[in-house]
Amino acid sequence: MRLQSLFLLLPALGLLNAQDHGNGLTNPYKTPQDLAAGSKLFRAACAACHGLEGGGGSNGPSLTTGVFKHGGTDEALHRTISSGIPGTPMSAFPLKDQEVWQLVAHIQELNLRKGAMKASGDRVHGAQVFAESGCVKCHTADSPGGFLGPDLSRIGARRSLAQLESAVVDPNREVTPEYWSLRARTKSGQTVTGVRLNEDMDSFQIREPSGRLRSLWKSELASYEFVRTSPMPSFKHKLQGNDLQDLIAYLASLGGAQQ
Amino acid sequence: MNRSLLSLFCAVAACAQVPFERLVHPARESGNWLTFHGNLAGTRYSGLDQIKTINAANLDLKWIYQAQSLEKFEATPLVVDGVMYTVEPPNTVIAIDVRTGRPYWMYRHPVPDATYVCCGNINRGLAVLGDTLYLGTLDAQLVALDMSTGRKKWQTKVAEYTNGYAVALAPLAVKDKIVLGPAGGERGISGFIAAYDAKTGKELWKFHTIPQPGEPNFGTWEGDSWKTGGASAWITGSYDPELNLVYWGTGNPGPDWNPRQRLGANLYSDSVIALDADTGKLKWYYQFTPHDEWDFDSVQVPVLADLTWKGKPRKVVLWGNRNGFFYALDRTSGEFLLAKAFVKQDWATGIDEAGKPIKAAGMGPSAEGTDVYPGVQGGTNWYSPSFSLRTKLFYLTVWDDYHTKYHSWDQTYEAGKSFSGGTAYGGFPAIRRDPFITWDPSWGYGAVRALNPSNGEKVWEYKFRDVSDAGILTTAGDVLFSGNREGYFFALDARTGKELWKRYLGGGVAASPITYMVDGAQYVSIAAGHSLFTFGLRK
Repeated sequence: MRLQSLFLLLPALGLLNAQDHGNGLTNPYKTPQDLAAGSKLFRAACAACHGLEGGGGSNGPSLTTGVFKHGGTDEALHRTISSGIPGTPMSAFPLKDQEVWQLVAHIQELNLRKGAMKASGDRVHGAQVFAESGCVKCHTADSPGGFLGPDLSRIGARRSLAQLESAVVDPNREVTPEYWSLRARTKSGQTVTGVRLNEDMDSFQIREPSGRLRSLWKSELASYEFVRTSPMPSFKHKLQGNDLQDLIAYLASLGGAQQ
Repeated sequence: MNRSLLSLFCAVAACAQVPFERLVHPARESGNWLTFHGNLAGTRYSGLDQIKTINAANLDLKWIYQAQSLEKFEATPLVVDGVMYTVEPPNTVIAIDVRTGRPYWMYRHPVPDATYVCCGNINRGLAVLGDTLYLGTLDAQLVALDMSTGRKKWQTKVAEYTNGYAVALAPLAVKDKIVLGPAGGERGISGFIAAYDAKTGKELWKFHTIPQPGEPNFGTWEGDSWKTGGASAWITGSYDPELNLVYWGTGNPGPDWNPRQRLGANLYSDSVIALDADTGKLKWYYQFTPHDEWDFDSVQVPVLADLTWKGKPRKVVLWGNRNGFFYALDRTSGEFLLAKAFVKQDWATGIDEAGKPIKAAGMGPSAEGTDVYPGVQGGTNWYSPSFSLRTKLFYLTVWDDYHTKYHSWDQTYEAGKSFSGGTAYGGFPAIRRDPFITWDPSWGYGAVRALNPSNGEKVWEYKFRDVSDAGILTTAGDVLFSGNREGYFFALDARTGKELWKRYLGGGVAASPITYMVDGAQYVSIAAGHSLFTFGLRK
């Protein structure tokens, strides 16, 4: 199965009361009781990866950004929950149809509560700010840019508005380990730095500032350390007027959402 | 008859018969691997010694079998007279030529869509007895297969899978019976260990791992909580032929993280149980974590060893528990002998003289979350440990110096649905994740560790950057084989922990190695990623 036969079966079973308005199925379970049930289900089934409040965890993205990579419509969210996303840790959840809809209701409520989709700035002007402020030198967004900083082409789907603003005005406030760099000294005396892309017992895989992908045997290093700070400057006092909010609105829009 | 002639004869006459007597004396035929643990004692120790500490560096790839499934490959193969039998996920049995890696036959058990196992649609292996292979399935069936053809002989319903039961372990053949238990501790099942007639599949006895009304120790669960208390039995037990006792570990009480919903000691969750093999009657039990609050399943392999204990010979069972403590018990009586923490833990201030943990205050799960060491995967888990008859050391895979935030909430039981009463998560690597290792090393680490079983002290350790779900094999060549999530498979000196050889296999190892003979040469096999790899010495 799963999705195709699920939808074939459901009308016959009388399980699916969702209405089709021509734009796909809509959620028939949105009462306060459904939201409460969805909240409970979320804690049991989703929180381990997506966090108790859906803000994201070690193994799942934030669900509070209003941007869903695999679609944010009722039908798309239903599909994601009931069928999973192949090739990712998101497995199919064999819940009753009503329960899936209750989860969909809760996830959409989480978004409303978090103020997602309410970015006040002008995303078109934000794109201009992004280009003119030099961000593009280090970051790829909706068009190719530099590679010294993280790829932001889906950042809107992974970070809330507050997180985006914090990253722009105070980039060192939270530099999670996946963005650390490596600074190493080889036994032959060479200093090597780069973004740490991967690591195991014996080796590092890094991207040097030149863009060169390089691996290092730990046994050939005299010393190494992780650089836990961000090379990005703070833009707190560098943006004028509404530029900051416009930039946030632009970043929040990045994610390829199929709204 | 030499091995070649025997194999030829067997191929023609389909004579691969494995009477129980062969399982009782594995040392007489180290060239085979006839049970999940390699022997009934659960030691995963082999008498083979061609691969030694001085030549292990010459190991070379012999063949690879690529599974068609993209689920985790966790099965331990059996090797019987030149044929390997294993299971690729979810429930597909394959007979493989050990010389070439080419399959002879394949049996695909149809698995309904609605089965649900907490951590992957996996299977951990088979049992063999007579001319029959035994498979436990995700839809909670016991299936008997003709080992020559792969055709189904019979199928018995073990439990109702729509209520959350599944069988993922390798069954254990004991005399004329097949013994197994179900998974489902996160689904509100009522656990058991059961024996089935190896010829017919008829249930012969059933021991309830949660005492039912009228049974001894009923009443250690408040109210009706015993009805949905879990206490699954999802890893293969061991058997002592002299004592005629089956030893089996049991899983967590449910709901996992809401102990308020099941006040009491919650027997026999998180316990080792010794059962009469003929009747299933309880001989003794020992509960490692009474009234568990953290999901400390005690489904580890019961490792049966004969040691000199305080100057006298003693039959013991050794246990590295998920709760972070190493234990030694007298396996005749269940008497508590020793407990010592083998990883950083803060849920208990110690173990008292009677063997009961002294719980630290304020460490239970809470609405806002409580940080506890060890984290939710425990100090170790289901991966097979090993006990070497030569070094007399106990080896286990550990996750050390990591913690998890345990959350709790009230939950109403619904048949077949998740019944965890909370959640547990933290920064440390989750069960399913991508192949990048970019977390903070201070979040914890994995290792293979050697313990002195007489006092629980660490003898050596071999540290990883990542953690490991791999089991451990030791051999008479004093070589230890294991792997890890980084994708390495390696050989260590079992006495010192020194690395002898290592290969990157491109996918995490979540299985336990085996060793056997092919045409007079010792081979080692391990599943990694979605493939099964076989190594032998370069000629």
